[in-house]
Amino acid sequence: MKGKLISGFGLIAGLLVVCVPIFAHHGGSDYDIQHPVTLKGTVTEFVWANPHCQVFLDVKDDSGKAVNWTIETLAPAVLKRAGWSRETLHAGNQISITLVPSKKGTPVGMLRKVVLPDGSELSGGALGEQPPQ
Amino acid sequence: MRKSFVGSALVLTGALAFLIVARAQTDRSGAAKTNAAAFDPRDLTGIWNPAPFMQPKGEVNPLDLGGHPNPLPPFTPAGETKYLANAKFIAAGAVLDCDPFGVSRNFFTPRPFEILSTRDRLVQHFEYYDNWREIWTDGRKIPTDIDPEYMGYSIGRWDGDAFVVDSGAYNGKAFLTWQGFPISESMHQTERWQRVDADTLKIVFTFDDPLNYAKPWSITGFWKLRKDWVLDAHPCTLSAIKEYDDRVNHADKLPGRDYAKPDSK
Repeated sequence: MKGKLISGFGLIAGLLVVCVPIFAHHGGSDYDIQHPVTLKGTVTEFVWANPHCQVFLDVKDDSGKAVNWTIETLAPAVLKRAGWSRETLHAGNQISITLVPSKKGTPVGMLRKVVLPDGSELSGGALGEQPPQ
Repeated sequence: MRKSFVGSALVLTGALAFLIVARAQTDRSGAAKTNAAAFDPRDLTGIWNPAPFMQPKGEVNPLDLGGHPNPLPPFTPAGETKYLANAKFIAAGAVLDCDPFGVSRNFFTPRPFEILSTRDRLVQHFEYYDNWREIWTDGRKIPTDIDPEYMGYSIGRWDGDAFVVDSGAYNGKAFLTWQGFPISESMHQTERWQRVDADTLKIVFTFDDPLNYAKPWSITGFWKLRKDWVLDAHPCTLSAIKEYDDRVNHADKLPGRDYAKPDSK
């Protein structure tokens, strides 16, 4: 729950950016929303559940050793409106995820965007209406 | 003959283009009129999604969650003490329990709610945590002998095209917002709801809680009608929270709901 305050609702990471810094309902906002990172790796598990879904991703570090990242998303209700379903990800999928990482340096983050194996992209969803562009 | 044919074709094409454009304009105009006609300012039913970017600048922002909301409500000394304790609790990463949110925190959660209308009540269903609220519209007063509750007790009446809601009988255990602004049992909340156009609902909230705030203060919120949405299931269950703590909070070295509330020590 790093940014979890935000996360709760999720954090919104980028989304609510405009109006809501981050929403983590479960705790202090410790996600580094100013420095998103993109990771490529292999899905080890996808948990479709309230309060937030989770993606577990094996990412190889510089030495080739796999580090298993815990990446939370917003709630299933919000993801559905962004085009997700419980079948969006499966163990073994090779994907790319853009996330805001924990300020603690742990392999934990809040998802902002995913690039699926077929190259299509899905956002992490939005909390509330967004301002007209 | 050939020139004559080409000329006729051009004239015909021009006439068709004119008719298409004219028809399109008529459709747009007609559609606008249809929307305006369909807009009943006293029909509040439907699914409404918050539009926090529409809040007027300078007001207390219930979604200013960076840890230092500015401006702050006009706290009393006691109210400020409670707020600071609540904020510390929230910052510790442990706000997740399944207690009902109370009315205002439900409104200030960036998730949609649905309004249903019955003969004697207007009912609100908040998607987040599956919270429900009844607003009685049959002319009754707030009873003086009821037990305080998280969601309080609400009554509503029409003032022109504005729906005015009065509520009280809050138990003082919920937060006013996600930031931890306190509520006492003496709080009286007033809301003035108005459909400012076919797709926009405006609500002005006024909080009158002399124990926590030196004077009544207000927040203006806006919601957009989402005709194509249905609410999804998002109940709060302790089992789901525990799993979330185990998988995410503890992975990030956060205490999760194991953190004790200030008033439980």
